[in-house]
Amino acid sequence: MNVATVTTTPTVMHAPVDAAGLSERISIRGLNFYYGENRALKDITLSLYAGKVTAFIGPSGCGKSTLLRVLNRMYDLYPNQRAEGHVDLDGDDILSPKQDLNLLRARIGMVFQKPTPFPMSIYENIAFGIRLYERLSRSELDERVESALRRAALWEEVKNKLNANGLSLSGGQQQRLCIARTVAVQPEVILFDEPCSALDPISTAKIEGLIDELKAEYTIVIVTHNMQQAARVSDFTAFMYMGELVEFDTTSKMFTAPHDRRTQDYITGRFG
Amino acid sequence: MSNEHTSKAFDTDLQDLTRKVSEMGGLAERVVADAVQALTHRNVELATRVVAADPNIDALQQDIEEKAILTIARRQPMAIDLREIVAALRVSNDLERIGDLAKNIGKRVGALEGDFYPSKLLRGVEHMASLVLNQLKHVLDAYAGRDLDSALAVWKGDQEIDALCTSLFRELLTYMMEDPRNITFCIHLMFCAKNIERMGDHATNIAETVHYMIEGRPIADQRPKGDTTAFAKAMVT
Repeated sequence: MNVATVTTTPTVMHAPVDAAGLSERISIRGLNFYYGENRALKDITLSLYAGKVTAFIGPSGCGKSTLLRVLNRMYDLYPNQRAEGHVDLDGDDILSPKQDLNLLRARIGMVFQKPTPFPMSIYENIAFGIRLYERLSRSELDERVESALRRAALWEEVKNKLNANGLSLSGGQQQRLCIARTVAVQPEVILFDEPCSALDPISTAKIEGLIDELKAEYTIVIVTHNMQQAARVSDFTAFMYMGELVEFDTTSKMFTAPHDRRTQDYITGRFG
Repeated sequence: MSNEHTSKAFDTDLQDLTRKVSEMGGLAERVVADAVQALTHRNVELATRVVAADPNIDALQQDIEEKAILTIARRQPMAIDLREIVAALRVSNDLERIGDLAKNIGKRVGALEGDFYPSKLLRGVEHMASLVLNQLKHVLDAYAGRDLDSALAVWKGDQEIDALCTSLFRELLTYMMEDPRNITFCIHLMFCAKNIERMGDHATNIAETVHYMIEGRPIADQRPKGDTTAFAKAMVT
């Protein structure tokens, strides 16, 4: 449901981010989200910039994953969940009932906490998604699969076993396969929902390196519980608490001198 | 929400660092006072003790550095915690330099010879040193109490020390021109005065660090400068 009349002032108490040289890819204005009667997001107003990584941080239940799920209308899969307000992707209203969800999710890809490869070959894991949206010749498809695997820094490890089952890969490789699958349909935005929480430090470093490379072409949003990861990979950080956006600023500012006391207490481990 | 970390051991680490820096500050204050006392009263024995005390200050600085590095590695501090640890590193560095400058005064006392010991000049040095000690005391209190106003007062208060140093230099020059036999003593005294002036600069450095630690940004203003003649500018920094 999209209520176009909601106009609220942002609740974030800080100096506005210097947006010079930045281009806004996703614009969130006065967003409220409800699980039944429960209001899980309160008047969120936030900009996500093209070619930048934005991290959502906050304690469990603060609404960061909910916000991520609004961005590709994942909540539509469940009854009694609804969003109100404005979320625009390049001026296109994401929350509109007329929105083609399949197309939207191709434009806004998502990588989940646990690697979720399909129980099919490595090649098919990637080709499957591409076939849903495009008709490509065999050679074009091969090329696209290879390029996706290369961009996910997995090609060298799997090029000789493309027919092996995706589930036979290690956890870190499976997660990179999922990233390759997301990249293969050429999205504009990639959402990462705690992509490294099930991975060892080496695999985590690979995924983080990948995020750094991918940001040149995509707008990236990452939800993470790992403060150091947010500090390492993101350009902007949004701190959420109890459904509210408490503070949004450049990551360097957020992790050295945050404005809001609650942000400071959270990132320094002084919470609850 | 509270001021304490969920991890109590982290609080202990940070408190420990602050305590060690304060301890080092106390030592630095004492060697400065002793060095000036040794200089103005020509007390070679006290001067020797000042020189001998320096390794204690150096050891404390090393201790603080190791503890800070370990805390960074272990806790990956953020925001105010990170700034507190960086501040402990910076302040201990300034205090170590202050200790070295005091040691240098102590060495010079041992090298002074002859009967020429003009009390007027020494009173000037004494006065300058008392101002620096006062600055040092206040800035260390500001650090321990996380007191922004006191830190800023110290930061603005360096001007008088610089002015005194410049006037002392001018006076020493006239003594040297008057009688070349005074030159050795005057040069030593000039270096001692310069050392004391440098201690004042380290106190203002600490004030800047305290400001950064509390506010998360450097002081925006220009520090006030008194005497702007070329001579004064060349003499003090």
